[in-house]
Amino acid sequence: MTRATGFLPMPSILHDIADTALTLAAGFKVTLKNLFRPTVTEDYPSEPPRFEQRFRGLHILQRDESGLEKCVACFLCAAACPSNCIYIEAAENTSENRISAGERYAAVYNIDYNRCIFCGYCVEACPTDAITHGHGFELATYNVTELIYRKEQLLASPASPAQF
Amino acid sequence: MATVYIDGNRHDADAKQNMLHVSLSLGYDLPFFCWHPAMGSIGACRQCAVKQFKDEKDTKGRLVMACLTPALEDTRISIADQEAQEFRAAIIEGLMLHHPHDCPVCDEGGECHLQDMTYLTGHAYRRYRFQKRTYRNQFLGPFVNHEMNRCIQCYRCVRFYRGYAGEHDLNSFSIHHTVYFGRHEDGILESEFSGNLAEVCPTGVFTDRTLGQHYTRKWDQTYAPSICHSCGVGCNISPGQRDGIVRRILNRYNHEVNGYFICDRGRFSYEYVNSPERIRAPLVRRGDEREVIEKDEAVKIFAEMLGSGEDVIGIGSPRASLEANFALRALVGADRFFSGFSTGEQRLIELMLSIMQTVHVPSLREVEACDAVLILGEDVTNVAARMALALRQSARREPQKKALAARVPLWDDLGVRQVTGDAIGPVFIAFPCATRLDDVAEATYRGRPDQIAQFGYAVAAAIHSGAPPANTDASAQALVKRIAEALRTAERPLVVSGATLRNEAIIGAAANIVYALEREGRSAGLAFTMPEANTCGLGLMRARALEEALESRVQYGTVVILENDLYRRATAAIVDEFLARAGNVVVLDQVNTRTAARANLVLPVASFAESAGTLVNFESRAQRFFPVLPPSDVQESWRWITDVATRRGEFGSWNSLDDVTAAVEQEMPIFRGITAAAPPSSYRIAGEKIPRQPHRYSGRTATLVNISIHEPPPPDDPDSPLAYSMEGYTYKAPASALPFLWAPGWNSARALLKFQEEINGPLRGGPVGIRLIRGDRRGAPEFFSGAPEPVNAPERRWLAVPIYHLFGSDELTHWAPAISSLAPQPYVAVNERAGFRDGAPVAFQSDGATQTAVIKIRSEIPDGVAAVPAGLRETETLRLPAWISIEAI
Ligand code: SF4
Ligand code: SF4
Ligand code: SF4
Ligand code: SF4
Ligand code: FES
Repeated sequence: MTRATGFLPMPSILHDIADTALTLAAGFKVTLKNLFRPTVTEDYPSEPPRFEQRFRGLHILQRDESGLEKCVACFLCAAACPSNCIYIEAAENTSENRISAGERYAAVYNIDYNRCIFCGYCVEACPTDAITHGHGFELATYNVTELIYRKEQLLASPASPAQF
Repeated sequence: MATVYIDGNRHDADAKQNMLHVSLSLGYDLPFFCWHPAMGSIGACRQCAVKQFKDEKDTKGRLVMACLTPALEDTRISIADQEAQEFRAAIIEGLMLHHPHDCPVCDEGGECHLQDMTYLTGHAYRRYRFQKRTYRNQFLGPFVNHEMNRCIQCYRCVRFYRGYAGEHDLNSFSIHHTVYFGRHEDGILESEFSGNLAEVCPTGVFTDRTLGQHYTRKWDQTYAPSICHSCGVGCNISPGQRDGIVRRILNRYNHEVNGYFICDRGRFSYEYVNSPERIRAPLVRRGDEREVIEKDEAVKIFAEMLGSGEDVIGIGSPRASLEANFALRALVGADRFFSGFSTGEQRLIELMLSIMQTVHVPSLREVEACDAVLILGEDVTNVAARMALALRQSARREPQKKALAARVPLWDDLGVRQVTGDAIGPVFIAFPCATRLDDVAEATYRGRPDQIAQFGYAVAAAIHSGAPPANTDASAQALVKRIAEALRTAERPLVVSGATLRNEAIIGAAANIVYALEREGRSAGLAFTMPEANTCGLGLMRARALEEALESRVQYGTVVILENDLYRRATAAIVDEFLARAGNVVVLDQVNTRTAARANLVLPVASFAESAGTLVNFESRAQRFFPVLPPSDVQESWRWITDVATRRGEFGSWNSLDDVTAAVEQEMPIFRGITAAAPPSSYRIAGEKIPRQPHRYSGRTATLVNISIHEPPPPDDPDSPLAYSMEGYTYKAPASALPFLWAPGWNSARALLKFQEEINGPLRGGPVGIRLIRGDRRGAPEFFSGAPEPVNAPERRWLAVPIYHLFGSDELTHWAPAISSLAPQPYVAVNERAGFRDGAPVAFQSDGATQTAVIKIRSEIPDGVAAVPAGLRETETLRLPAWISIEAI
């Protein structure tokens, strides 16, 4: 009997078909499973991103319940900053011009975001919980001088005391 | 010497000291509060507890206070002992019960001894849960802020204020846990040394009020080693600045001069540097207007005004550095350089300087050790305040001998005071009016200047029969004998005098007393006060007297006036005439003085905070100061003069201060050695300059970002071995170039003890200042011949004598708000027999001009004498002393 060439033996073909079907099923199982799971991809920038509570973003200088600035110009954040990027000038509160509850307030409070490494040391150092990390992160700019944030940019708005 | 053991280590120790002193000298970190190196121990705080062991075999030991344990032979203590450590931590915890823990808003924070000690003992958590005791704070005047809640009851403040500085209006009140440190009521602190409270108090109770007005933390300031420019004592200071604003002045320890303390004039003088009255840009007069011009143009105009230089004269200044005066002298020529001293003052200063070559002039450290003092015709507190503080200590030397005899060691402050009580030693003062040192004087003599001179001559004659005799009134004879006896029997007698009363005979008399003592085989000191920062240095230049130029009637082409307001040196009529006579007037000055207002060209000159140079103090100690503010167009006088000289092709090789200082030394042999007063600008430690900024200096890259985000390189400083940066080492810096003090774990001013060779000893790192006059022409100098006969006062005429005021008489501090707020209003002081009512407005005639003032009745003033304050702002200068008539208006 001459041996017919070109034909694979029967059992091997069946095996391959089964194998392929199984592989496809496994793949589609992931697809199907994820089809019914909640979406994790963020639709940024069409929708605002979501952060964990402890995310360290752009700083916010907080106010207290009565709307006074919490910062008392103690310079501790500036001292703690490892990249030396916080610059403060203090001024004295007077009864006519009360800015913070302490003796002094920060007349100037700059953070140089060219240098800030978002380490959170300033937040840790602050005895009055005045400087906090907010969730802002959109820092990109064509002009680096805009990366020097002034107190006016960092300060929480008077209306809603606690902010992120 | 004694052998002591600390934590098992064997050390040699000074047996005259206590174990705290010894431990700290040896570099051990042992916490303390109430002990102060200048004031000794009282054992009030219990913070320095250590374990003491009887001998080698004693393993139990007992807790003792190191500051009360004498360093006797074989004393064995342990600092590391567990029980001692726990005890010390418990003490801190106790002190902290009522402490407000408000470091973030406390001006002491970051340089607080309490913080350092808390950290050192390891106390961290406050367990006390009850309400804290609180106090009311007081208003204590423009210098010192009071925040009583932070007090830890160490008693240092009152011990300094009352015991050391001798003032009475600060005290401790109440008992138990409500002890209060303050005044009996709100009010301005009366002591001239109140600012030291900020450094003496280990907490934030007393802080620098002027610093508070532009507050910056210790670590954020840029410092420089500097010398106080407010009088001739030459205290060493450390000004601190940030962002171009000088924030405060700290004491800079120099064991020969100011030690741990400076006076309030010196500490708060810096405010004028920030004054809006400063001249910041060159001004040229065009018609009636003054125009601001560029620096280059100013130099060009200056060069044109100098012309061929033929009819140019220069007037120097006793408040400008040696280099500045020398540069002007080099520019105009030695024979056309006039000193700039007040009328009549130069003669006196040259006389004092020549006497200084024949006697021993003590440093303030030596003054403190003197045990008998005669102050002849000088009001030391108001002319050389820091010297007065030293003299207060001299007054305690004689009584302290009793304590030593009773085997009480001198560091035992409480013990010594128990033996001595309020006793004072032989200090005698002869002055027309009461002085602030009278409370430590055994006796005082009041008289007119000529009578004081006679009195001095009489003392000399009573000491040594070869001294020329004098006629003193019979009533003073007993006192003369007493003083002569006291000086002759003292171990270290001292005579202090000065030029305040403008009386040559007084200075001669002071010299005669010292000569007489030397002939009697006693070695005596003679100290002359010098009114201005560089009076001594300028005097040594032997320039021509200012009067010669003022009264010469010569038509000068250009007059160059260096940092000098001529209206304070001579009467307005004379100066007006002189300035009108000059073709061009060029004024180099820091503030807009009356003379500057008359100038054709005004060049803005750097203040002490912006400049480098050398000053010579009252004992002829040449000391260098360095700038704390970075270079700007407001530059040193010598640099302006160098600029114009360079333009004219003269003295071309002066590029930095070192060149000028070297030229001074080369040209004038009397100044040999001044280059060694501080390291040259080429000095480096491990290839780096000495940093002016502490290593924690913050915001470095963010400070100037609003101008450019490119961090600029630190400004270059060709004149000093210091850098405007935080890179480099201070720890091994030479003493004369040490900008600030910081040591690991020691953030407060007490870091000093890590820089001293031993407590109260010199700083490690070489000499601070170079003595120019060594008194080597000693050995029986000729006596000065007798004083002129006293004159009798004409009917209804008073001899007006100048009276200095620490706050008010110094020119530049007129522009320092805190100091000038304490300056007196113009007055004439006479006794009640003059027939005037206290506060009555009067007019008096002097030099043909009429002045108005109010009468102040001071009953101690002798008949026929009127005391007139010198150098007040906006008052006319009088040629004093002068006979005046006083009319009520
Ligand atoms: S640490 Fe807090 S209170 Fe202090 S300066 Fe910074 S932000 Fe202000
Ligand atoms: S005195 Fe010292 S420990 Fe007390 S609040 Fe001030 S800085 Fe803090
Ligand atoms: S005020 Fe200061 S120096 Fe005086 S007792 Fe209190 S802590 Fe000590
Ligand atoms: S005594 Fe004179 S040199 Fe010393 S701090 Fe006072 S003003 Fe300055
Ligand atoms: S330092 Fe020794 S008890 Fe205060």
